[in-house]
Amino acid sequence: MTPQEPPPRTRRQELAREWMKAVYSTTYVPMSSTEIELYLLDLVDVIADAIQAEPFSAEPVGAVGDRMVSAHFTGLETLQRTVEVLGHALLFTPELAGVDRLAEKVVAILGALAARFATAMRLDAFDQQEEIKWALLQAKQGVERTLKLSEARFHEVFGSSALGIAITGLDGTVIEANDAMAAILGGDGDLVGESLLARFHPDDTHVLTESYRGVREGVVDRFREQHRLIRSDGEPAWVYLAVSLLRDADGEPAYHVTMVEDVSELHLMQKNLDFLLLHDSLTGLSNRQHFITQLEAVHSRSERGITLYHLDLDSFSLINNGLGHATGDRLLKQTAQRLTAVVAGENTVVARIGGDEFAIVVDNSATTPGVTTMIDMINDELAEPTFVDDRGVALTASIGVLDRPSRDWTVGELLRAANMTLHRAKAKGKRQWLPYDPHEDSRHRTWADVAASMPGALENGEIEVDFQPVVALADRTVVGVAAQLRWGTWGHRQCLELAEETGLSLPVGQWMLRHAGELVARWREDAELATVPLHVSLGPMQSRDEDLVGAVKRTLDETGLPVSELRISLNTRAVLTGGGDDNVQVLADSGISTGLTAFHGGQDELALLTELPITSVTIAGADVRRLAAEPDRDSLLHNAMAALVSVVHRAGVTVVATGVASEDEAAWWAAIGADAAQGEFFAPPLTADEVTGLFHRN
Amino acid sequence: MELANWVPAGSDTGLPSAARLYDYLLGGGHNFAADRALAEELLVVEPNARAIARHNRSFLRRAVLYMIDQGVQQFLDLGSGIPTVGNVHEVARRAAPETRVVYVDFEDIAVAHSRRILAADPLAAIVQEDLTEPTAVLDAASRTGLLDLAEPVGLLAVSVLHFVSSTADAAGALGVYRDAVASGSHLALSHATADLQPVEMAGIVEVMKRSANPVFPRSHAEVHGFFLGFDVVDPGVVPVPRWRPERAADDDPASAGLFAGVGHKG
Repeated sequence: MTPQEPPPRTRRQELAREWMKAVYSTTYVPMSSTEIELYLLDLVDVIADAIQAEPFSAEPVGAVGDRMVSAHFTGLETLQRTVEVLGHALLFTPELAGVDRLAEKVVAILGALAARFATAMRLDAFDQQEEIKWALLQAKQGVERTLKLSEARFHEVFGSSALGIAITGLDGTVIEANDAMAAILGGDGDLVGESLLARFHPDDTHVLTESYRGVREGVVDRFREQHRLIRSDGEPAWVYLAVSLLRDADGEPAYHVTMVEDVSELHLMQKNLDFLLLHDSLTGLSNRQHFITQLEAVHSRSERGITLYHLDLDSFSLINNGLGHATGDRLLKQTAQRLTAVVAGENTVVARIGGDEFAIVVDNSATTPGVTTMIDMINDELAEPTFVDDRGVALTASIGVLDRPSRDWTVGELLRAANMTLHRAKAKGKRQWLPYDPHEDSRHRTWADVAASMPGALENGEIEVDFQPVVALADRTVVGVAAQLRWGTWGHRQCLELAEETGLSLPVGQWMLRHAGELVARWREDAELATVPLHVSLGPMQSRDEDLVGAVKRTLDETGLPVSELRISLNTRAVLTGGGDDNVQVLADSGISTGLTAFHGGQDELALLTELPITSVTIAGADVRRLAAEPDRDSLLHNAMAALVSVVHRAGVTVVATGVASEDEAAWWAAIGADAAQGEFFAPPLTADEVTGLFHRN
Repeated sequence: MELANWVPAGSDTGLPSAARLYDYLLGGGHNFAADRALAEELLVVEPNARAIARHNRSFLRRAVLYMIDQGVQQFLDLGSGIPTVGNVHEVARRAAPETRVVYVDFEDIAVAHSRRILAADPLAAIVQEDLTEPTAVLDAASRTGLLDLAEPVGLLAVSVLHFVSSTADAAGALGVYRDAVASGSHLALSHATADLQPVEMAGIVEVMKRSANPVFPRSHAEVHGFFLGFDVVDPGVVPVPRWRPERAADDDPASAGLFAGVGHKG
């Protein structure tokens, strides 16, 4: 469309200008008016040439319609004005005056132009519609892509975040949680469906519920607080929480987003700081101040009692002065390590509580070695020489031991006692140790240990039943055998006490009854043996056993022991205070001879003899020993006992004395009319094998 | 879970848009029935709307050619809309084939269409940004490699700022563009006004409220104020057909609807 010299065909030029003027304001063509004129002039040429051509064809004019559309001569009135201008000009221009059948040709030409124009417009509109719809589709896909990208970005952040993120429903149910969240909680990662609130420390739940509500109700946009989460292993994790709200498309609250930052490490750092304040910098052991609080804690919560060792390294000042402080420090560190190693398996605190003083508190367990074993281990460990400049240096220590002090001792008393004992030990020389109170402590220790292992012993058959002969005082014949528990060196009384303490009383009682009943029943089947009735004495709890009657009947049924061959004595207190009295009644109703043990003879006890079908009473062992300890046979107590026996007899009840230890005692009990007795004087508890020896008829 | 609510909804493709309406008024086919329906309503309140569109488009062409005459070889067309007849790069290339053009629009369909039209064109590109965030626009435009801020830029804000509400700081945005471009740069601007035909413009404002692009007409003084920091070239800020017309006007300038002008940064 380069500008050119106006051609000589000025009429065509004029026509192009008229055409331009006619259509210029009907549409926007991005050209100057001159350019438009020139563009249209080309089209005028096509039309004028066509009209003059022989033979005539309107076909070339079709291109004019195409070119008008492609140059955007497409306004609403553009075609109409084009037809007006061209129609008038073609019909009346002098240049075309000689054309044959002009009007016919003009109509044909304008028709062809209009037809092609219309077709081109249609196609153009289709194209453009297609383009814009494609763009619409792209745009929508773009939005979706953006959405997907955004979602992908979210998931990237969600997935790779070091912050734990959980999205929960408004009820706290986890809808989605990321790996970091799972890691903080230490679980298998699948929190979905769980309640997030349940993962918080119970103490924090109430406050947190309120905070979540505040966010949900729009009181606050978000909250940021520090709380404890509970890991899957039950350990707490300190976290910072940031909680905010997600709304749905309608702006209604839909989800909570909980972001969790694990700040346990900060707490660890805090702990480290605490560690520095509470520990000896040289050895890393607790310092004195820390030890005092730890000792207090261990002492107050210990179940089996603590043992406190207070150690002082012998002649350590000589080492420090002779070998130098560096060596001294090295030995102190080593001592700390060795002491820690000695007690490694125990629940202990090892502390350095002075320059060359150490302390160990052991919270005793069933398996904790005894004090002497522990002392040996400490001494052995310290005796191992450390080489300093090729010279072996071995340390020794003096040790004061406070074993199982009473729970009500204060920490101050504990430390003072241990320290005092240490000084007593040091006074004896090097490498010495002393217990604070050996008798009391060792007794207590053994007792507790035995009680703890009783269940196992019962199961393993370590507990046995012995039989102590019951002797008629009148003729010294054996009239019965009393079943007695024995467990190692522990006798019947201790076994019953242990059983009562450990809650094993009922099974032990029933077991004893059953076991002894079986033995006696078996002996009865042996024609060689002349057996005597079995006496079974029960402890307080056993006497109240609601299943006692059932157990007795089962024993009789299953062993075949006749009712006449069994005497059961119930604890007097248990019968007095309820529970036991029913048992006495029902046993007696079943034909079993029933007595009372641990009988003291008080008014209330005597009343029982009139109320219940009692056949015998057994005088409490403590009362028997008290009488034995009183040499004056005419004492108040002796007279009272004599009177008691007489009173009991009047009720038709026999009297048995236990724990009779001498001929004198036996004679006295016989003299006051007691019916039978048992005790070391007559025979100790015998094993099953031993007791059968007594029964041989020959 | 369903995370669809996490992102802002995409541009609403359902509402009529000013760009497609403009295309229709220019006789284009890049529009939807909703656009055409609204355009017909517009023609009721402003029968001259087609002429206004044509004059505005014609002003764009003349302004581009004027700037090329002044030595501008790159254009930043803010709010370029739907590519339609007489796009800047087409007009400019007929005068200067090496001219580079960066189009800026925010609307998804306009951007998608522009991208397609320009896909094979190494000297023209479209960036999808909001023209009221000039820093982002300039960054994105520079990233195309087509815009060199050290050289004069032809800034085009043709029939677009009247879609920027009075609460958004159109003048402030223009100031950022002005400060960013080299001296020798030009600003061409056309803007709807109620000064010339208050009744018709009020009708246009009402009709366009139902489009995605409500109109905020501004006074002559306000439009002139957009040229702060530019020297407005002759004939100044005038009704759009009166800006350097190429032939004797056959239209009443009072019905132009828009003021137009070109400024030069010294």
